[in-house]
Amino acid sequence: MERPGPQLEHLTHRLAETPPDFLDEPKIGNTGTVFVPALVNDLLYRLGGRAPADVLERFRGREAKADRNRLSLSMIAVWLLADEWFAGEPFAQADVLRVLDETASELAAATPARKFVEDPDRREELARVALSRLGLRPAGETEAQATDRLSALSGTERRRLLEASRAAEARARAIREALIKKQAEESADKWTRE
Amino acid sequence: MDAPQNLEYFPTLSEDGRKMLEFLREHPAAPIYRNQSGNRLLAEEVESLRHFEREVRAAKVGWPCNGLPDWLEDFVATTWQEVPYYRALGSQPRRFADIPTVRRADLAADIARFVPDSVAIDRLINFRTTGTSGNPLLIASHPLVAGRYLAFHKRALARFGIELKHGRGQVGVVLLGVQKKCFTYVSVTPLMDESGLAKINLHPDDWRQPDDRVTYLEALAPEVIAGDPISFAEILNLPVKLQSRALLSVGMMLSAGLRAKLEERFACPVLDLYSLNEVGPVGVFDVAAGGHVLLQNRLFIEILDPEGQPVATGERGEITLTGGFNFCLPLLRYRTGDYAALAFGSDAPVLIGLAGRQPVRFRTTNGDWINNIDVTHALKPLPLAQYGLHQNADSSLVLRLGHNSLAQAEAAHGLLKPLFGDLQLQVEAITGEDKILQYTSDLEHGAKSTTSFRCRDSRGYGVP
Repeated sequence: MERPGPQLEHLTHRLAETPPDFLDEPKIGNTGTVFVPALVNDLLYRLGGRAPADVLERFRGREAKADRNRLSLSMIAVWLLADEWFAGEPFAQADVLRVLDETASELAAATPARKFVEDPDRREELARVALSRLGLRPAGETEAQATDRLSALSGTERRRLLEASRAAEARARAIREALIKKQAEESADKWTRE
Repeated sequence: MDAPQNLEYFPTLSEDGRKMLEFLREHPAAPIYRNQSGNRLLAEEVESLRHFEREVRAAKVGWPCNGLPDWLEDFVATTWQEVPYYRALGSQPRRFADIPTVRRADLAADIARFVPDSVAIDRLINFRTTGTSGNPLLIASHPLVAGRYLAFHKRALARFGIELKHGRGQVGVVLLGVQKKCFTYVSVTPLMDESGLAKINLHPDDWRQPDDRVTYLEALAPEVIAGDPISFAEILNLPVKLQSRALLSVGMMLSAGLRAKLEERFACPVLDLYSLNEVGPVGVFDVAAGGHVLLQNRLFIEILDPEGQPVATGERGEITLTGGFNFCLPLLRYRTGDYAALAFGSDAPVLIGLAGRQPVRFRTTNGDWINNIDVTHALKPLPLAQYGLHQNADSSLVLRLGHNSLAQAEAAHGLLKPLFGDLQLQVEAITGEDKILQYTSDLEHGAKSTTSFRCRDSRGYGVP
């Protein structure tokens, strides 16, 4: 976060205005329309380089359960970093790929990608995390302010997600237990049995 | 059964209902009932079922050719919001066709993830598949869902001009099984004024005297008999005289020959229902319509190719379901593993050339035939995620096991021995398949499972 980046509001506004094409379905197997490796490659070219084919493979979708949400967020991150402000900056390609890949995967693990467009707090979180991973901080903020705000924002969300995840797991366990109780096994009558 | 138990299984039981249960259980020729179950319906649920039945009866089934039904958008949005499995996939796709499909293996992996957040846990019940068409699966359900089946049975029966009449003091339905081990019980149906329901096992082990089967069935004089082709084949062997008004066949493919025999013997229509534990009755076979006419007004069917893309109207592919009346298991693009083409009939869409479940019998060392369900039961104690059994033309057996179940081979062999005797058994590993044909046989008299069959249709929609 040592270098000042663009205005935070500029980035959150850009996320709120994400074009429908970037919210389309990532191609996974034979479903979806957007081939994410090509989208990533276009961004890298715009930022002054090209990625080797094996690096782009990471953005190829194979299975909806594992890949759909993270690739959807990679697409949104591509839109964010395609902002003109970033075009002239001397980023290491590895840092950009880290935002598109690792950061997208982490954030997508528990939050639907479109929330980072529709929800103001998640827009801010994505913008701040992306800047931080690129060694930037929002314009007008000190490094300490940027760090504090990011950890507060992410910390609150992580706690909320952790609680939600614990509650979901408890409910799933309760359902599994209920379904094998005597009463559930005895079932209820119906006029035909498959 | 004492009063508190009656209250648990039959919350709305009247004195007449109690007498019916007593009649079914205590008839001198009654079988040994092995289990207990009931309708479990609360008074307000009985009322809601009456409303549901009226709605189903009056509803138009179908959607515009190449279009989507009008209820679909809200259903998808609610399901995506409330079901953990779908939520975990990320944001709801904007186009229906972009929703990832799910398979039986996804349900089997953890059914709890498919139960919506809004479903109360305390009254959950389960239905287990018998494993005749795939591998055992536990389905989350509710007494109200079980009660809703009757609305679709009535819609199917009405297609053949049958209105159910049996009520108080009469038996509405007898469900037949013929297995060494079978879940059997008696009940009453509140929506039919507490007409009786008996689920019985025709296997002689469940009766004091084999002849009691005939005496008991004739005493019950059910308006409807429900079963599968194996139990119906068994009842043909009994000298039973019944005036039932319809036979309902589910669970396996019913051959035209067996249906004709049953219709001749019982002088009533035999309805071949395509019904799945996952979604209940889907369609009823009607020769005039050329296939299985759809029954549910809130069930959307797509026919998909192996890549998950919709095929052109009239082409064959995998039956894929969205919707259903089981609010504990709302499905989005569920690939059934069954195959058919979809045609738009005059009153409802029709599944043409349905290829699904076929009964398979296996021959034992002493020449007896046993039902594939007995194999399922025998292997039930083992934690087998996936398995299949094939009988070669020389009667030797091939047990197919998933890689993670190969360690169970010896135990499986031990459990199959009491059924088959000393038949040679070879073990093979299952490789690279999502769903295998679980039971197959090369023997002439064993029903051979194939991936397609000729449709029982006089107008030639058959599948070569």
